[in-house]
Amino acid sequence: MARNANKSLQAKLVLLGDMGAGKTSLVLRFVKGQFSEYQESTIGAAFFTQVLSLNEATVKFDIWDTAGQERYHSLAPMYYRGAAAAIVVYDITSMDSFVRAKKWVREVQRQANSSLTMLLVANKADLEDERKVSNEEGEEYAKENGLSFLETSAKTAQNVNELFYEIGKRLAKAKSSHETGMRLHSRAGQDRGGLFCCA
Amino acid sequence: MSESQEPFSYPPIDPINFDLIIVGTALSESVIAAAASAVGKTILHLDPNSFYGSHFASLSLHDLSSYLTSPRSPPAAASASTDSDDVVIDLVHQHICSDAEIASYDESAFLDENSRKFSIDLGGPRALFSADKTIDLLLKSGAAQYLEFKGIDASFVFEANEGLANVPDSRGAIFRDKKLSLREKNQLMRFFKLVQQHLDVTQEEKISEEDMDIPFVSFLEKMKLPPKIKSILLYAIAMVDYDQDNSEICKDLLKTKDGIDCLAQYSSSVGRFPNAPGALLYPIYGEGELPQAFCRRAAVKGCIYVLRMPVVSLLMDKVTGLYKGIRLVSGQDLYSHQLILDPSFTIPSPLTLSASDFPSERLQMLSQRDIKGLVARGICITKSSIKPDVSNCSVVYPPRSLYPEQVTSIKALQIGSNLAVCPAGTFILYFSTLCNDADEGKKLLKAAMNALLTLPVSGNSESILSVQSDSEDTKPIVIWSAFYIQKLITSKFEFISSTPTPDGNLNYNDLLDAAQKLFGQMYPNEEFFPKATPPDDPTDEDDASGLTLDS
Repeated sequence: MARNANKSLQAKLVLLGDMGAGKTSLVLRFVKGQFSEYQESTIGAAFFTQVLSLNEATVKFDIWDTAGQERYHSLAPMYYRGAAAAIVVYDITSMDSFVRAKKWVREVQRQANSSLTMLLVANKADLEDERKVSNEEGEEYAKENGLSFLETSAKTAQNVNELFYEIGKRLAKAKSSHETGMRLHSRAGQDRGGLFCCA
Repeated sequence: MSESQEPFSYPPIDPINFDLIIVGTALSESVIAAAASAVGKTILHLDPNSFYGSHFASLSLHDLSSYLTSPRSPPAAASASTDSDDVVIDLVHQHICSDAEIASYDESAFLDENSRKFSIDLGGPRALFSADKTIDLLLKSGAAQYLEFKGIDASFVFEANEGLANVPDSRGAIFRDKKLSLREKNQLMRFFKLVQQHLDVTQEEKISEEDMDIPFVSFLEKMKLPPKIKSILLYAIAMVDYDQDNSEICKDLLKTKDGIDCLAQYSSSVGRFPNAPGALLYPIYGEGELPQAFCRRAAVKGCIYVLRMPVVSLLMDKVTGLYKGIRLVSGQDLYSHQLILDPSFTIPSPLTLSASDFPSERLQMLSQRDIKGLVARGICITKSSIKPDVSNCSVVYPPRSLYPEQVTSIKALQIGSNLAVCPAGTFILYFSTLCNDADEGKKLLKAAMNALLTLPVSGNSESILSVQSDSEDTKPIVIWSAFYIQKLITSKFEFISSTPTPDGNLNYNDLLDAAQKLFGQMYPNEEFFPKATPPDDPTDEDDASGLTLDS
């Protein structure tokens, strides 16, 4: 399991933010190294895994995308359950998306467990000409709320790997505390024989 | 979810045309949403509540109390602008639960502080057999990847004068039972051999056709099984509701062939998953996770979700009388080919409708709700377990085990904090039974509770202390309790379909059968979850262990 006697951990990571802020693009850049200028609204995928090897630990991320359920503010509590980290994303070219990101931060503080690591991410940093939210505004809000803050661009890959490495490092230090159970799998099922076995 | 938020304005929904609109996010509706999305239907899935799950939700203590005691009033219909070609028929909302009785005893401050740490099932007690079709459906649909489960540690049957006895999970356990005579054990041996041969496809020897058609209880008598074992097989394993020895009042007389199926399901459930020692599983965070997992599955396939969106009226075509669409509380009109409604919605009798020339016979069907019976449900919170060292367990009280007039069995389930549904050191107990009226149902549940728990007389804590010191083994003291009566309404396929209410069973098999049937009636040419759903997460495939296990 753990390589080089290294600590190995599995962590659920959730993305939040307005439609079009670039949640899926960030994940695709990180997981697949790809970027698409016209990423469709998220349907069809919404679940990725990626393993990150750090000096401190090997982190296997289960990355949950919103599957579009944020559009009418109808994310299920299931989305936050057991999440070790949350990335709240806004688009630097949209003040609206920044205002909404603040709401998402409060929503996470309300819904998720208190040990969760949260980061505020200002995406689309490549679109400097259309910037509506200054770096300072984002940074100040993050500081007030005790969040890490990064400006990223899924398009140019600026700070994308750094973002996930930062989360990985923090999780390696933290202790997860939520209840875990078993996942169903179709391959399970050696029949012990139950009531009728002769053994 | 319902904590105060900024004033809410209803968002306009885009697009406005769908293949299917579903109102309510109970399990059946969510399964149909996932199944129909999987075959490419465009779906809008609405819920008037601020939470997922409708009658299958798991709620915080406060939300549960307010849900049970203050049924939401139907919102006032928005703008009656009827300049369209549609006839607008206002929907009537009828709460499916009634007669709620909630009591909080000495620990109300603790409960207030921890309200949000509770996640209490509305449709409890519920659990899944490891080998039942719900598990297969969770796997086939892909919903399983969003869920984690734990095994129920033990299953008990309540015996008059003797208290809790283990439901055997293996032949060995039966034969270790010191209360059975050697002769009885031999009779059991013969019975199990027969059932095993019958289930084994390679064996010729079968239970006769004739025996397969007689009541299971008669077959068990024919096999000369002792009453204790007979009772366990019928009520704790086959989970039948009515007294099988009383053919006059028994509404669900079980035939041998169905009894054998239940035995087979139970037997293959035991030990199907490592780390789940018994036959039953329960989802972490409560049963409300199940509809959420199916909804997420549907969302991934493009289904649009809108919570907090009441539907106020149906739009019917003036000429044909056919369903066209719905009107939201916001006044927006949306259209779809098909509509599925939560069972708590009905429409007024056609006679009271003003549009007299409207072809109203069709509406007659929908305005008549067949109430098939009642389920009494009870919930208790305690600070200790009914069985030391056991956190999660099921209990069945067979008919006549509590008092002679008890004609239905009572099912109970205790869930502890390691399933993340309650604060550390507390337990939630669910009880349910079928009944004919509220008084009978509550009497049954109270008797079942009193057999294992101490229900304090409110405002008199001294009496509890004296009870405690008198009794030999201390029963857990109830710090909060709720009773309510729920109507049993079956699903309906019409030009407007409706889903069933939660039934009185422990598992979801019948409800899923109803959902699958409804799907088949709506989409006769489509497969219910085509097999070729590729896993979202291909990296999981190299998990050689097959199960992700912890703790």
